[in-house]
Amino acid sequence: MMNHEELVDLVVEEAIRNGAEDVAALGSLQKTRMVRFYNNKISVIKAWRNLGISIMIGLKERKFVSSYNEISPEKLIGSVKELIKLGEKSKPNYDYVPLPKGPFKYITRDHKEDLAYLSGKDLVEYAEIAIERALKEGAKRVAGTLICNSEDIALKTSANIFVKDNASSLETFVRAFVEKESSGQGISCSTTLKNFKPEIAGLEAAKIAKMAKNPKAFQSGRYSVIFGPFIFANLMNNVMEAASAFNVDAGLSFLNNEIGGNVASPNFTIVDDGTAKNGLNSRVFDDEGTPTKKTVVIGQGKLKNLLHNTSTAKKFKTSSTGNAGWISPSAWNIIIENGAYKENELFKELKNGLYITNNWYTRFQDYRNGDFSTVCRDGIFEIKNGEIINSIKNIRISDNFPRILKSIGAISNNRYWIRWWEVATPTLTPYALVKDIGITKSVF
Amino acid sequence: MFLEDIARYALNYALSHGANYAEIRLQRDNGSAALLKNGNPEVSSLIKNYGIGIRVLAHGSMGFASTNILNRENVSECILEAISMTKSVSRRLRKNIDFSSNIVSNEKWNATPKVDVNSIGFDEKFELLLDIEKATISSCNDFKMPNRLFIIESEETEKIFLNSEGSSIQSSVPRVSFTYILTAYKAGKGTAQRFNQKGETKGWEAINEWNLINFVADETKILGKILKQAVAPPKDDRLDILLGSEVVGIICHESCGHPFEADRIIGREAAEAGESFISPEMLGQKIGSDAVTVVDDPTLPNSYGFYLYDDEGVKARRRDLIKNGFINTFLHNRETAIEFEVETNGSSRSEAYNKEPIIRMANTYMDTGDYKLDELLEDISFGIFMKNFMEWNIDDKRFNQRYVGLEAYEIIKGELKKLIRNPILEITTPALYSSVDAVGKDLSFNAAICGKGDPQQGVPVWTGGPSIRVRKMRLGGLP
Repeated sequence: MMNHEELVDLVVEEAIRNGAEDVAALGSLQKTRMVRFYNNKISVIKAWRNLGISIMIGLKERKFVSSYNEISPEKLIGSVKELIKLGEKSKPNYDYVPLPKGPFKYITRDHKEDLAYLSGKDLVEYAEIAIERALKEGAKRVAGTLICNSEDIALKTSANIFVKDNASSLETFVRAFVEKESSGQGISCSTTLKNFKPEIAGLEAAKIAKMAKNPKAFQSGRYSVIFGPFIFANLMNNVMEAASAFNVDAGLSFLNNEIGGNVASPNFTIVDDGTAKNGLNSRVFDDEGTPTKKTVVIGQGKLKNLLHNTSTAKKFKTSSTGNAGWISPSAWNIIIENGAYKENELFKELKNGLYITNNWYTRFQDYRNGDFSTVCRDGIFEIKNGEIINSIKNIRISDNFPRILKSIGAISNNRYWIRWWEVATPTLTPYALVKDIGITKSVF
Repeated sequence: MFLEDIARYALNYALSHGANYAEIRLQRDNGSAALLKNGNPEVSSLIKNYGIGIRVLAHGSMGFASTNILNRENVSECILEAISMTKSVSRRLRKNIDFSSNIVSNEKWNATPKVDVNSIGFDEKFELLLDIEKATISSCNDFKMPNRLFIIESEETEKIFLNSEGSSIQSSVPRVSFTYILTAYKAGKGTAQRFNQKGETKGWEAINEWNLINFVADETKILGKILKQAVAPPKDDRLDILLGSEVVGIICHESCGHPFEADRIIGREAAEAGESFISPEMLGQKIGSDAVTVVDDPTLPNSYGFYLYDDEGVKARRRDLIKNGFINTFLHNRETAIEFEVETNGSSRSEAYNKEPIIRMANTYMDTGDYKLDELLEDISFGIFMKNFMEWNIDDKRFNQRYVGLEAYEIIKGELKKLIRNPILEITTPALYSSVDAVGKDLSFNAAICGKGDPQQGVPVWTGGPSIRVRKMRLGGLP
C-alpha cells in the first residue's frame, strides 16, 4: 500500500499529465486516541487512523480543491481526472495566482517527541490522574477529554516543492463541578510528555469550582474585567479570524482598518507563529509550500499585517505571510505578548470589577463592526479592593471587539497554552485586564 | 459500491476479540461546493469521505475506532486497539455501559432526488450564483453592498449499518443547501449584515424551487431599509413581542431541543457542550403555557435533518418534547434509554464515518396554533415584531438565552410601524415559554448545522415554527 508521501507524488504527476497548470497535494497520516469522561467515569474511548489527501488544481485561472480519503492509487487517479473534468467547467477566479515557486528553505524544527507510542492504557491512566486530583481537591463530579495526536504530513506542488513535517501533541481539559452551578476548568496541553501535567488540569479545575460555590445573580452594566486564559484565548481566536485577509474581503472582519492604524491599546501585541517551539499547531510550510514564520498582526496597538495566502496577498498588494489555506488563510499558533504584571498585581490594579475564567458561544451581530456577545461559564467572580468577594452566575459579555482591543490595560507576565473546544487555534495567552466591559443578563 | 464484506469482517472480528456488542457503519459522503465572493468565482470544491466506524461495548466500557484504510489488517488493528483500551479502564472508572433493547431491522431506505446534483456542472452553479449577484447589486438603491458571499453545496450520504444483534440497514440521502452572507453599507449609517442558510433533503430541484434570485434580491432590499431607516429600540418597561418563524426555530432548537438531550441531562457532554437545566425528575412538569408544543421529527419529508433509521439502527419517529406546556419526553439513544428505563426514540446521529454516534436533534419546531399573522398582531397595543435575527447564544445549561433581532418592527395598536434596530430578547427558558399566549398557523423552517460532541460534529437540522406572541416582555441589553 502506498503511503501519503507516495500518494501526493502520484497525484501531482497525474494532474500535470491531465493538463493541470498548477497542482498542490497535501497528504497526511494521522493517528489519534481520545478518552472522554464524566461523573468521574470514562464514557468512551476512541481511536482513529486516517490517511487523507487534499488537492488544489489551477487550470485556466480556475481554482478547484478537493479532499479525499478513499485512498487507492486507482481511485486517486480517477478522482484527479474527474476533478479536472469538473473544474474545467468552472468559472475563472479573477484573483487567481499561480502557486509560489520553490524550492524554499525551511527551518529545521527540533521539536519531535513522537507521542504516538503512548498506549491507550497510558491515556486511561492520565485521565485517572486528572480525575483523582480534581476529586482530592474537593470536586464532586469531574468531566473532560484527554487526547493524543500524531501526524505525518507531506506537500508536493507542481512549483518544485516537496516538503515533509510531523507533529504530535498530548492535551487534556478537565471540568470539575462542586455544585450544579459551581464549576471550573483546567487544562494541560503540550507537544512533549515532560510538560504534560494532567494533575495540574484537575487541580486548577477543582480550585476554581470550589471558589465558584454559591454563585449570586449580578447586575447588568459596564465593569472592568480580568480575563483568565480560557476566555482571553477565545476572544483572541476571534481577533485572529478577523485577521484572515479572506474574511476581511468577505466582510467577516472588524479589522478592516488601514495597515498601520491604531486598533488596540499600545501595550497589546498579538502574533501568529507557525514556527513556535512547543506550538501545538506548528508546521514549517503552509498549504501552498510557503515557509511559515512569525507574523505580527497587531504590534503595540497598531495593525501591522493581515494573514495571507498568495491569492489574498495579490488582492491586498502584499506578500504571502505563509498562512495558506488554499481558500482562506488562517493562523497557526496565536501568541500574545506578555505584560509586566504578576497575576496578584493584576487584581490590585483592577481594584473593583469582575474576574471571568471561561466562556462559550461567541456570536456576532455584525462581523464588520465587531458587535458580539459571549456567555460566561465556570468561575465568575466579583472583585472588591483587589479581593474576590462573591461568586457570580448567569452573565453575558455584550460588547464590541474594536472597543475591547482599545481598552486592554494591564497584562500578566505569565502565559499559558490553551486549546480546547472553544479555542480551535492554540493560543499562548496571559491574563488581561480590560476596562468597561458590557455585562448583561436575562431580564426575567 | 460499498465494501460490505469488510463491514461483516469487522463485525465478526470485534465479537471474536472481546466485544459483547459491536456495530459497524460504513459511510461515504460525496460533497461539492461552489463559492462566489464579491462576484468572483472563488473556488469549486469536491469532498469524498469514505471509511468505517466501529463501536463496541467491551469490559463494561464503550470503545469507538475508525479508519479509512480499509484492508483487513488495519481494520483488525483498529478494533483491537479500541477493545484493549476498554480493557485498561480500571474498575473505579468503569461505567458498565449497556444499551436498551431494540428491534432487529433489515431495511433499505433512500431519499431520491428528482434532479441529481451530479448532473449539474460547476458552470451552471456559478451562472446561477452570478445571476444572484447581479440581482443583489441591482437591488441596492441608495446604499452599497460591499461584501457578498454565496455558496451552493450538495452532499450525498450512503451508509451501511450492521450490528451484532442482526440489524442491517442501508441508506442513501442527498442534501442541498444555499448559504448567503450580505453586508450592506451606507456612509453615516455603518453596516448591517444578514447571514442565513436554506437546506433540504432533495436534489437540484430544491435550488430551483427556492427561486434564489428573487429571494436574495428581496433580502438585499430589506437589509438596505434596516440600515437606512431602523431606529433604536423603545425604552418602555413592558411590551409584547411577536416572534417570527426564524426566531422561534432557533429558540426551540437552543432552549428546548438541546436541554432535552438525555446525554446532556446525565452529564455526558459536561466538559464541552455542557449540561442541562432539566433533570430527569422534571419529566411531566409544566414549563410553558398551554399554547406551547415543541416537536423534534426526523421523518418530515424533504427536511434537512431527515432520516428514517438513526445511527444505532433504531426506527425514527416524531418526539413531542414539550406538549401543551408540559415536559413530555427527552431525546434518547440506546445508552440513555436504559439508564432512564425507557425505549430509545431514535435520536442517535453521526456526522461521518469517523464520528461516534451521539444524541442529536433532527428537525425541531414549535407546533402550529390557530392564529393568522394579523390576528396575532391585532391584539398588541404596543410591542415589537422580531422577524429574524443575527446574533444569538445560550448558556451551557440552556437556561439564559439571547436573540438580537435583525428585521424588526415597532407594533402600535396592531399595526407594524417603524423598523427597529437590533432589539434584544435576553430571557430564561421557563420565562420565555410561559409567556407565549398565542401561536400562529404559518409554519416554516430554516436550515442549520448543529455542533456537538468531541471531536465536534456538525449535523444538518431544520429549525422552525410559526409566528408566536409573547406577552409582557422587557427588552434586554445594557441599561
